[in-house]
Amino acid sequence: MRRLAAALAGLLVVGGVAVALSLEPARADSHDLEPGSIERGARLYQAGCATCHGDSGEGVDGWPPIVNAGEASADFQLRTGRMPYAQERGQQAQRKPPAYGEQEIRDLVAFVASLGDGPAIPEVTLDPALLSPGQRLFASNCAPCHGASGNGGALGGGAIAWPLTDAPPLIVAEAMITGPGQMPIFDWPQEDLNATVTYVEYLRSAPSPGGFSIGGIGPVPEGLVAWFVGMAALAAVVYLVGREWDRTGDGG
Amino acid sequence: MTAERLIAASLVVSALASLALVVVFFVGGHPQIEGILLALALGGLGAGIVIWSIRLLNAPIQVEERHPLASPEQTRNDAASTVDMRSITRRTLLVRLLLGAVGALAAALAIPALALGPGPGRELFQTPWRAGSRIVGDDGLPIRPDDLAIGSVRTVFPEDAIGSPEAVTLLIKVRPSELRLDAQRMSWAPEGCVGYSKICTHAGCPVGLYRAEEHALLCPCHQSTFDVLRGAVPTFGPAARPLPQLPIDVDADGFLVARGDFPEPVGPSFWNLTHTETDG
Repeated sequence: MRRLAAALAGLLVVGGVAVALSLEPARADSHDLEPGSIERGARLYQAGCATCHGDSGEGVDGWPPIVNAGEASADFQLRTGRMPYAQERGQQAQRKPPAYGEQEIRDLVAFVASLGDGPAIPEVTLDPALLSPGQRLFASNCAPCHGASGNGGALGGGAIAWPLTDAPPLIVAEAMITGPGQMPIFDWPQEDLNATVTYVEYLRSAPSPGGFSIGGIGPVPEGLVAWFVGMAALAAVVYLVGREWDRTGDGG
Repeated sequence: MTAERLIAASLVVSALASLALVVVFFVGGHPQIEGILLALALGGLGAGIVIWSIRLLNAPIQVEERHPLASPEQTRNDAASTVDMRSITRRTLLVRLLLGAVGALAAALAIPALALGPGPGRELFQTPWRAGSRIVGDDGLPIRPDDLAIGSVRTVFPEDAIGSPEAVTLLIKVRPSELRLDAQRMSWAPEGCVGYSKICTHAGCPVGLYRAEEHALLCPCHQSTFDVLRGAVPTFGPAARPLPQLPIDVDADGFLVARGDFPEPVGPSFWNLTHTETDG
């Protein structure tokens, strides 16, 4: 009876670990917020942005003008924390937790959009049927910089292409149509945009059936691990089995 | 620990792991944990059987002697008599073998010379781009200058050779006022749509990385960097000559077309690169 109890306890522990590992992180809900207000946005803009971008987005002292940045660009820059800019001048804007809350971002986006004529926040639909064309588009246009698995890469000249692992679909689409920083613009037809965003989302959530992805940076580290860890483990097992046989076989 | 206990422990571990495998499968499955459990199940079973056979079974090593490999005397004599060795003396045999070896070596040295020809002719100087070829994306659709926003990059091909590795071209739209091309090449970039061969002039890798702020094309293989505004002259890295520029025009329907082939050979440089009038 004691043995059975111990066995059941072991099963429970193993099962519990398995369940805990398969849980997905919860997603934040969008609350009932107001649409962006240009007036509130203007006040936030004056306080946080006008020093560099100018009172009406014209750009002060060589900082970039944002008159025609549009909703999409403002939304991208604020939501990914790239703005407000917090580096030495000339460095690539860093991805950070956003400095503004959801309502403030909406207000600022509304204000920036009112300055001039820029792209609106795009609408994208994830469609699994577009995975294959999405992969083709990604391979020829995105993979050169962001890597085949979307884990980012070096661009030379001190610049990097960011990993796409933290980029939700709308952020990817906004980046494509606005070309932030060093990134060129990929202002594509809606279906191509949907296909690419779908594929990036697939890359982010792709299962890793082998266990560790080892950074997802390509076959070389995977091969190294297979050879030096896997083969070494096999060799050790072979050695141990053979040694044991020797020790007892002699006597027989 | 006694052998019995060791075997029992292995088999119990194996059984528990197998049961846990079933449980994990039914609660949703998790590849890594399932893998570990499967390893424990099979490993426990294997360890149990191995220990059982080594410790409990009295299994001395028996060696069975092989029977003699040679055929009986009579068979060997019969075989030897069917081959008449007397017509070939030892000396003739060795001389013939020597001649054969030298001849084979001569052939082995001579055959690679065939690889020196035929000459590639004009092949290295030509790509599928022709005067009037519509410029299309990999979706096969023609492109108007207005389809591209300033700062856009597209990989393009001639309409009749989509996917051609020689013809692959990067179409980049920049502000026309920023372009610093040679005077006669300014007209090759209508509305700032400038096209360059995507094949690096150093080692032939695709020059696929673009730093939009500096208008710099970067080759991922050896970091050759090309200035898009100044005719793709190399500004860094081992590439020695600019990426060839595709002469671009706009046709009557408003689509981008090539005015002709690249003015220079695309891809890595080669020894008679500048002999454009000779035949290879």
